[in-house]
Order: sequence, then C-alpha cells, then structure tokens
Amino acid sequence: MQKTNKGKMKISRDGLVAGLMLTPALIFLIVCSIYPFIWIFRYICYDYNGFTATFTGTRNITRMLGDKTFWNSVGHTFEYAAYKLIFIIPLSLLMAVLLNMRMKGSNLFRGMYFMPTIISTSISGMIFAFIFATKNGIANSILMDMGVIDSPIKWLMSRDWVMVTVTIMAIWGGLGNYMLYFTTGMNGLSEDVYESAKIDGANGVQTFFRITLPMLSPVLKVVLMLAITSAFKDYEAIMVLSKGGPGNRSMVMFLYIYNLIFGATDSTSQAQIGYGALLSIMAALIVGTVTIIYNIVAKKLDDVV
Amino acid sequence: MKKKLISMMLTAAMVASLCACGGDDSASSNTDNTQNTGGDASAANSEEQPAGGQETQEAQAPEGATTIEVWTNDRHDLEYVESMIDQYNQSNADGIFINLSVITEDYQNMLALAYNGGTAPDVVGANSLPLNTFADTGILDPLNEYIDADETFQKVNEPYEHAYEGLNLRNGNIYGVYSGMRSGVRVEYNKDLVEAAGYTEIPTKLEDYIDMAKAITEQGGGDTYGIGFTSSSPFERLLEMSAQVSGVFYYDYVNGKYDFSGYREILELGQRFISEDIAYPDQQAVDNMRALFAEGQFALWSNASQEAAVFTDQIPVKDFEWGVAPVPSVTGEIKGALQTTPSKSWGIVSSSEKKDQAWKVIQYFQSEEFIKGYLENGYCLPISTYMDGVIDKSKIGRLADFSMLEYESVYPQPPVINLTGDDYRVVFWNAVMDYVDIDDAIEDLSTRYNEALDADVASGATKRLVISDYDPLHPNNGTMTYLEE
Repeated sequence: MQKTNKGKMKISRDGLVAGLMLTPALIFLIVCSIYPFIWIFRYICYDYNGFTATFTGTRNITRMLGDKTFWNSVGHTFEYAAYKLIFIIPLSLLMAVLLNMRMKGSNLFRGMYFMPTIISTSISGMIFAFIFATKNGIANSILMDMGVIDSPIKWLMSRDWVMVTVTIMAIWGGLGNYMLYFTTGMNGLSEDVYESAKIDGANGVQTFFRITLPMLSPVLKVVLMLAITSAFKDYEAIMVLSKGGPGNRSMVMFLYIYNLIFGATDSTSQAQIGYGALLSIMAALIVGTVTIIYNIVAKKLDDVV
Repeated sequence: MKKKLISMMLTAAMVASLCACGGDDSASSNTDNTQNTGGDASAANSEEQPAGGQETQEAQAPEGATTIEVWTNDRHDLEYVESMIDQYNQSNADGIFINLSVITEDYQNMLALAYNGGTAPDVVGANSLPLNTFADTGILDPLNEYIDADETFQKVNEPYEHAYEGLNLRNGNIYGVYSGMRSGVRVEYNKDLVEAAGYTEIPTKLEDYIDMAKAITEQGGGDTYGIGFTSSSPFERLLEMSAQVSGVFYYDYVNGKYDFSGYREILELGQRFISEDIAYPDQQAVDNMRALFAEGQFALWSNASQEAAVFTDQIPVKDFEWGVAPVPSVTGEIKGALQTTPSKSWGIVSSSEKKDQAWKVIQYFQSEEFIKGYLENGYCLPISTYMDGVIDKSKIGRLADFSMLEYESVYPQPPVINLTGDDYRVVFWNAVMDYVDIDDAIEDLSTRYNEALDADVASGATKRLVISDYDPLHPNNGTMTYLEE
C-alpha cells in the first residue's frame, strides 16, 4: 500500500516537472498562436480600421459571398498552385536523384540550386521584373536570338502570359528547398538495397521507379503536403512582380487579403481588418480542405500500394 | 580537402548573397527617400515605402530644460530639420529641449500604440495622419486656440486660408497647419523627342496630346515611345488629373454620393494609348520608368513636383532638356481644380502634459526662419502667399517650374468607406487596358462604392459629406455639411 502511494507521489512529481518544463512553450503557444487566432474571430463581424471598430452584424459575410474579386482570386490561387506543383515536385525530385549520384561537382550544384531559397523574395521579384521586361528584357532577347519567338512576349503585361511568368519565378525560388527535402530523404535509404538491385542487374530507371520512389514515399507525402500548403499561401513574389495584375489576372487570395488588411498602396479605401479577417478564415478553410483531401487520397493510395 | 574548400566557398557565396539582399534593401530605402524629396510624404502613397524603424537624436537635454518629444515620419528632409533642431537646442531660448524621433515604418500604428500605452510624444508630424482615425478618436488636439492667439503664426502660415475639410479641418477644428505643398500632376517631357515630332509645345487638349504621343512613337520606330506609364497607380498620374481639370470627380459633393459616370470619355480616349501601341510596352515600378524617361526611351511622363529633385539629383536627366507643362483636359478648357497635396504639418497629442511648450515647438517649426530655409532647400513648394513672397526662388531650382497654378486646389476628403473589391483607380486602368468594358466598370464602381457608403453611413462608421454650393473650380470653398443618413 505504502509502495503504491510512493509510486503515485513519484508520478505527480514527474508530472510537475514536465508541466513546469512545458510552461514556457505553452505560454508562447498561447500568446503567439492561439490568442491571435481567437483575435481574428473577434473582428469578423466588425468594420475595423485599426482604430475604431463598428459592429456590422452579418454584413461582412454577405459581402464575401458577393465579392467577385475574392472568388476570382481563389480561382487564380488554385491555378497557380496547380502549375507550381506540377512542375516543381517532379523537377526537384529529378534534381535530387541526379545530384545524389555523387557525380563530380554535385555539391556545388546543390548549393547553386538551393541559393534562390535564401534570397529575399522581394529582391528576386525585382530581378525577375527586369528579366521579363517586354522591351530590353533578358528573357525576350535570349528567346529572340535563339529564334524561338519573332516578337517580344509581354510576360508581365499580358493576361495570357503573367501566370507563366509567376510560375517560373515560383519554381526557381522553391526548387532548391524541395530538392533538399528529397536529398535528405534519400540519404536515409539503405545502400544495401541499391547494391542488391545492382547485383540483380537493375538499370538506373528501374532502380528509381522500383526502389527509390517507393522507399521515398513517406518523405514524398510530407513534401507534397508542405508544397500544397505553401503554394496556396504564396503571395510575396507576386506582390513584387506583378502586383496581382494585369487586370487582376495574377491576384491570389492571400495578396487580396493582404491588400485589405494593410491597405493597398494606391487604394482610396481604408484598411479593412474585420473583412480581411473573415476572408483569412475562409482562405484557411480552403487550404485546410485541400490538405485534408490530399491526406485522404494519399492514405487511400498507400492502402492500394 | 577539396570538398571542404567547395563547402566554404558556397557558404561564403550564400553569406555574400544575403549581404547583397541587405544592401539592396538599404538601396531601396534610399531611393524611396529621394522619391519623397521635393514633395510631401502624404500623397505620394504609391511611392512611399520608407524603410527603417526608429531613429532618435542622441543629444542630452540640458538641466532644467523641458524635453518635448517630437515624432515625424519624414526622412527626406532630416538633414535640414535636425540641423535646425540642434540650433534651437543649443540656444535653448524657451527652456525647451526638442528630442526628435524619426519613425518611418508603420508610423500610424506606432503612434496609436504609443498613445494607448501612455508613451506618446508631445508633438507629431500630422500631415499623413487621417482625421477619421486620429482626430475623431481624440488622439490629436485642436490647435485653434493657439493659432488665434498668435498673429505672427497666422501671418506666416495663413492657417484659415489653407484649412481643408477632412484633411486638417473637422467641424471648424484645425488639427495641424500646413507649411508647404506638393504641386498637382504635371507633364514632364523630353524636349528633343517632342520637337523631333514637329511639336513646339504640349497640347492642352487630351486628344491632341494623344496624337502627339502617337507621332513620337511612330517617329521612334520601336526604339523610343511617345509616353510611359508606371505600374504604380497609373490612372492617377495622368488620366484622373485630366478628368479633374475637365470638371470630372468621382464624388458627387452636391448629392453626397459616388458618381463615376463622368469618366467615360476620358477612358475612351485613354484606351488609345494602349490599343494604338502608343505607350512604352512595359509598365514597371516608378523609379524604373523614371530611369527609362531619363534615358530618353519615351517622351512624356507625368507626376507631381517631386520630379524636380528626381530628375536633377536622383536620376539626373543629362542627355536632353526636359520641360514641364500642365496636364491636358478633354476640351482644352479648364473646368475643374487640379488636386494638390498640402504637406508638413504638426499636431499636438492630447495626452501631452506640456502642451504650451509643445505649441512653442510648433511655433518654431512653422516660423518664417525655419520654413524659409526648408522651402529654399527645395523640400516642397510654399503654401502661404506670405512665404511665397519671402523665399528666394532662384534657390529652389527646377521646383520653380512646378509653381502653383491658378486652378490648383485641395478637394475636401470624400467619406472614407469600407469598399468591397477593387479601387476605382485599379478598375479604370483595367478599362484603359481593355480588360473590362468601360460601361461595366462605371456601373460596377457606382454600385459598389455607393453600397459601401450607404452601409457605412447606416452603421455609423462614416458620414455623408454634402456641399450644396459646390464649385468644381473651387472645391474647398462651399458650405460643407455631414449627414448621418
């Protein structure tokens, strides 16, 4: 009996220590994450410009339902995310496989491909604006010298091309990051499996599809989920490169929300933190739903495989 | 060893690129500061992205002196303002020590936070503070009593002549007195290219202006163009101002509602710049377009008086002579006022416990001696007739070309609303670019703006401004009333 009490005492002391050790992290979590999240909900029924809040009932919700610019921006976000994911994941995987072959200079290339990740998005946006200028732009002059095009492409001035341009920039900026995830994943794969495949006479392509890809699938799943959520949240580069234009063609939902909450530079309207907060919640729901759908599909695929 | 060497090189390259990013940031902040040079800060919204946080003078207050804390968000004139404050602090005539802090990032929020936290300064640069957030909430104090008791201040600054409803004046209360102004938009043109196309002066009629731009583009044969537009608020920089001087404004002051129907003709004319391939094919950031103008890539550019400093110091035009002309109107006649932007005003924060000394500091900032030097340094144009007569105009350089026009004025601030969707400037530029139909754009804007206005008036978030005897040539002179329905 005494023994049991001692045991209980020990557990509670352990619990206390654990609790104490968790407290700082818990405080930070509450202050920096949970409180701001609740704060957002506080203003969804208000017009709030940072100074005065006016209760407007359900008006923000009615506005959201009829806000064509927002719903178009949601469509553009899906389009942008799809373009980005279709190219960036296979490309970064390919890069990772190639650089993992331990060829001469692979470390140098790995560093080079990773470098765009550490360059500030606003700076790279400005650089790309020069590269993709219609007149005197490097992209057009190279393509024209190569004879690929006859007249300059309006990369940033045409509604047909702007999505291509922002996608190229997104791929350039994110490739190294995903490549690094895949490289790290591949480093964890056992060399023995590759050796036995080699003994069995498997060639490079067979090794990739039969060994690397299946063994990498847990990493691939996580990388894809990260890529999906980040593609839906991207807006900084677009803000610098095209400002969401021309004609709102590259306006993604988080850029629209940013403009509402912080006030667009050339707007005559004021900061709309309440309405922006509501749209943020809607955007979070959209990204969350996409991620859940992806997780379900990925799980089903796992079961099939 | 080799691997180590490569790794070290890569690390060095990464660090270098990071440093380069930092360097670029500071470079961009310099650019922004220079953009503000010669113009005031408030209206250059689209260009104003000052970087950097807070800078405070590090001098010590002498014993017995009362320290007055002053906040400003203007950095472009810092050299002059700091030197004048040093002079004041050294002479210490009023027993006051001025401690200046420059807050260029998130100024309004920083000020509101300081006010709520009880650490607000005594005096603030007030020209960029909206009245609906800083006066209606009681953060700023009215200055009428101080102004009325000071005849010298009235003589130098003419506060009642230059009080603008919704900007520094609300219900008869003045919250800051302007000591300078930025001109309205002007056309800056490359004299060589204009003359080469057979023109000796800039047409006053918009259609002729477009024809001239077209002639220059044709003459350029794909190398030079007639006109250039920036991606940063392009509508505001020419066509909106052409509309203003043609008597078209987006707010119907008489009926107290938004009305965009007057813009149809301007938009149809503006479409020619794009549909006839007259304009330079890219619309880049303001500084890029300025650099292209300075390089002689296009002939016509339009912006306000800050361009005087830009084209002489920041991006100097060296290879050709450039002229300044008024913006064209639809018929060639002037039927409405051109918007100017008053600048450099100071306010007293209501939480200050040293208001009389704070007013003394404002008196110094807006004294003849202080403003004369400020204006002669070319930071902005004079707003008062008195100062206009006092300054030596030979010292202000090309700013003299931007002197106030007879028909320049300040429009009373239309109600601030919570708009759903795009701003009218964005939508109208989309119409010029032919992304949306002109009639659809006008209908969409009139619906959205008035819906937002009606809802905001009903909820009490704003009031409807009505000027029954509104005169488009003198928009600020009418009888203003605020309606709550």
